[in-house]
Formats: sequence, structure tokens, C-alpha cells
Amino acid sequence: MEMKILFFTSPTCSWCPFIEQVLERIVREANHLELEIIDITKNIEMAEEMEIVAIPTIILPNNQRIIGAADEAFIREQLDFYLIMG
Amino acid sequence: MNISTGIKELDYMIDGGLRTGQCYAIKGTAGAGKTVLSLFMTLGALKQNIPVLFISTEVEPSKIIDYVKSFGMDFDDYIKKGLLVVDKIALKPQGVNIVQTDKFDLSAIIARTKAKMDAIKAKLVVFDSISAFIAEFQYEKTARSGFMDFIREITKEDAALVLTAESQVSQEHATLEEFLVDGVIKIRSELIGNQLVKRISVPKLRSAQPISFENRFIINKDGIMILRSENPPTIFIQEEKIGIDKLDELLGGGIPAGSVILIEIDGETNYFPLFLTTLFHQLKKEKGVIIHSNVHMHSARILEEFNRVECDISSHLNEGNLVFIDKYNRTVTAVEAREMSQLMTTDDMISVTVELMEAFARTEQRSVIYGDLTDDVNILSETDFLRYFALQSFNVKEKRAVAYSFINHNAISREILARLRTTADIIIRFSRVNYTNYIECLKSSTGATFLPKIVKFRDKYPLIEIIG
Repeated sequence: MEMKILFFTSPTCSWCPFIEQVLERIVREANHLELEIIDITKNIEMAEEMEIVAIPTIILPNNQRIIGAADEAFIREQLDFYLIMG
Repeated sequence: MNISTGIKELDYMIDGGLRTGQCYAIKGTAGAGKTVLSLFMTLGALKQNIPVLFISTEVEPSKIIDYVKSFGMDFDDYIKKGLLVVDKIALKPQGVNIVQTDKFDLSAIIARTKAKMDAIKAKLVVFDSISAFIAEFQYEKTARSGFMDFIREITKEDAALVLTAESQVSQEHATLEEFLVDGVIKIRSELIGNQLVKRISVPKLRSAQPISFENRFIINKDGIMILRSENPPTIFIQEEKIGIDKLDELLGGGIPAGSVILIEIDGETNYFPLFLTTLFHQLKKEKGVIIHSNVHMHSARILEEFNRVECDISSHLNEGNLVFIDKYNRTVTAVEAREMSQLMTTDDMISVTVELMEAFARTEQRSVIYGDLTDDVNILSETDFLRYFALQSFNVKEKRAVAYSFINHNAISREILARLRTTADIIIRFSRVNYTNYIECLKSSTGATFLPKIVKFRDKYPLIEIIG
């Protein structure tokens, strides 16, 4: 079963390249996860649909959101929490 | 581009309407009517076929559309026509858990808002309310600085942005939004008796001089009403003129004949510029001027002052258009005065004045009387003084003259002042705050009253200039 992590980014976001690397690493390690990167300036419909307010926003497969840039440990913690609880 | 708010008085307060490229904040405590005002602004723009984007952070769009129906507005039509989009933006959609950090920007709502503005070519964006929106963030400071970008980006699109912001009752200092926006419209409510009275003011306006007074703000079923604290004249009368253009204009073109004008001053304010300017105007109009001279309005001083400002009144003196009645005759010795029981009784004053008025009437001249009452109040007994003032006012009305009575309101009792005010037709008050002189009208038979206006004195005729 493939599960998606949605990552909303914009060209003006200075933390996004770092988060993108972190997420790619996480997805590579776990074989059932998939990453979708959405540039809101190019895909405004998606941002509208998901009601995105702030950038960066990460939407985890359980629909939990991480708003704002965080380090790898924090993201892994949130994800692990989901996987354990899931 | 100026967008009328649909409320005439508010347009006047913000210098003609909302300007595109500028951001306005409606501030007020909870329940003050911020949202209602922003909705009426929306309607005002829609009525001029100006597209509007209304963003709510608290309420669902369908609820807003229902809500405005209670004010007799129908937004559905405008939505169908493509003139209006009502949208909801919130950080936390329903049923979603979020964790927040302090490293983010608000580029997503900027992009989303811009896309919606483009779709309908919106010229007005209403954001209701910034306080509720910011409160959702754990890191409010970052959110606020992110919101600055929002303001900048939206106003850049040649649209007017209206934000509503809640202010706490205790919070009198300016918040971040206030520094950032171009105009602040403030609604304040206070309890008077058992009635909640709302007042609206514009403490900040970047495009023009802010209006520093508060107007009554009323919301009812028919909509929003803003009552000006300053009453425009209800009737326009041009029978007589005071002789100061601005003052006449404010009172409705002029004053009715038979007016008793009470000019209240404090002891420190110099009323001579006003006195001399109107006096000179009356003389130019060939009026018969009677001056009840005393220690303040002494004949020698008046002539001297006219010489100083280079106004020639000698011809009027020679023709007898200007008559001084000395109340306190210094040529009478103390013994004679005692024999006469009083230096000059008030009855004598009145009979002399009436005779003069009749004499002027024979040459078809209207009479104008000037007097400083301050000393009379203190010298005469209360009943004598009030009788004197009432009789004189009666004669003024009967002979269709105009009387200017100057009074130092600090030097007389409040009861007397109240009685003088009852008798007077027009009350003009001079006041001074921090070395700036102000003139205001408290009562007028034309219905006009106005708030304090700055007065400047000049050394040439006209000696007085009213600003604002």
C-alpha cells in the first residue's frame, strides 16, 4: 500500500530545499511511502483544495499537518508517531 | 481609483472613499460592528459594479450570505454576476491536526488570494478578521510579519484592502497592524446610561489629514448610519453677517436680524481680533454701531487698536456711525455719583441705547451693539444684571438689531452663564489649549453648531482667520 506525503513549497521559501532533501531521504528509506512536491505558484488549485495557508506545509498520510520548517528529527518523530499509532 | 463605501459620511471621513493600493484597518472591540461595516463597504463597491473579494476567517461563506439578508442585502445576485467571491481562509481546516513551528511564510494565502482576485478582477479585498486569523498561529510574531507581505502583495495589485481587527478595551496603544496600514477606522462603544452608544473615528489616514473627531455610529435594520457630531445649518439666512467669511459660512451664510450673540472667552484669550474684525465689517456696511464701553472696550483703546492695524474709521466717527456709551463715567465725582445713587443705572443704559437705536432707524441704519458683560455681572446684583440683559435682548429683537456680548466664563457663576446661554440666540466659544486658540459654536438659531476650529490671528484686516 502506497501512502503519500504531500509537501507544499514555493519559490520564495528559503527553508524548503532543506526540507525537500530530508523528506526525500525519509521516503527512500521507507518503501511504502511516496512524496509529492507541489509548488503552489504552479498548482494553485491543489493549494486551494487542501486549504493551504502557510509555506512550508507537510501533510502526512494520516492528514496531520506540519506547518513551518522543522529538522529531520522532528519530522521523523511526527511520522513515527503516525506509523506506531497507525 | 476611489471606491465609495456607500456611506456618504464615511466617505467624507476617509477623504472621498477607499483608495486602491492602500490598506485600511477597521478596529473595534467585540460586537462593535466591524464585520457589518466591512459588509456594507462590500455592498457599496458592488453597487458601483466594482468586483469584491470577501475573505472570512471565522464564518462559512454560506452563513455570511444568510447573515447579510437580515440587512436586506442580496449577495447571491452579485456572486452569479461574477462580481463577488466570498471565501473562507483558516489555518486549520476541520478535522485536521496540526503541529506548528516558527519558520514559515504566508505565500500560500497570498497566491490563493491573488488567483481569486484575478478571476473576478477584484478592486476591493476585505479580510475579516486579521485578529482571528493570527490567533490560530502558535507563533504569532512570525504570522504577523508574514501578514505584512500579504498586505504589501495585495495592495500592489491595485486593489484596496480592508482588514478588520479586534482591539481590547484596555488596549489603547497601537498594534502592529496600525503602523502598517494606510488608514485606521476605529469604532468605539461606550455605555451611556443603559444604552450602548457607538462612535466612529479615523485616527490615522495616510492620504489626507485624519479627522480628529468622533461621529455617532448606528447600526440598525436599515443599515449603517453615521451622524456627524458637527451639525450643518438647517436654514440659510443672509440677513446679517458677522463679517468673518468662514464663520458666516459655518453658521449658514449669515445670522438672522434680532440675534443676541454670546461670545464666551476665558480670561486669557484675547477677543479683540474677533471684536475689531466684526466691528470694522459693520462700519463698512454703514451700520449704526453702539459700544457699551467699559474697562475692556474702552473707546481710546479701540481707536488705538484700529490705528495699529491700519484700519481707518475716522469717517465713520465723524458721521456718527460709531457711538460709545460710557457706563462708568469718570467725569462724575464720587459725591455726585452718590447723589445719583449709581454711576449710571442699567435703566439709563437701556433708555440711551434704545434712543440711539431709534435714531439710527430714522436714517434707515440697522444697529449693532457691542458690550463686555463680565464686569457688569460682578458689579450689579444678580437680579439687576439678568433684568438688564433680558431687557436689552428684548430691545435688540424688537429693533431688529444685533448684539454681541462678550463674557469671561471663568469669572462668572455657572448659574448666570446658564441663564445667559438660554437667552442668547448664538453662542460662540473661544478657548485656548496649549497656546492654540480655538473657536466653536455651541448653539445657533440657524441650527448650526460646529466643533472647535483653530483660529489664527493676523496683524492686518481681517484680523482673524478660522482654519479647517
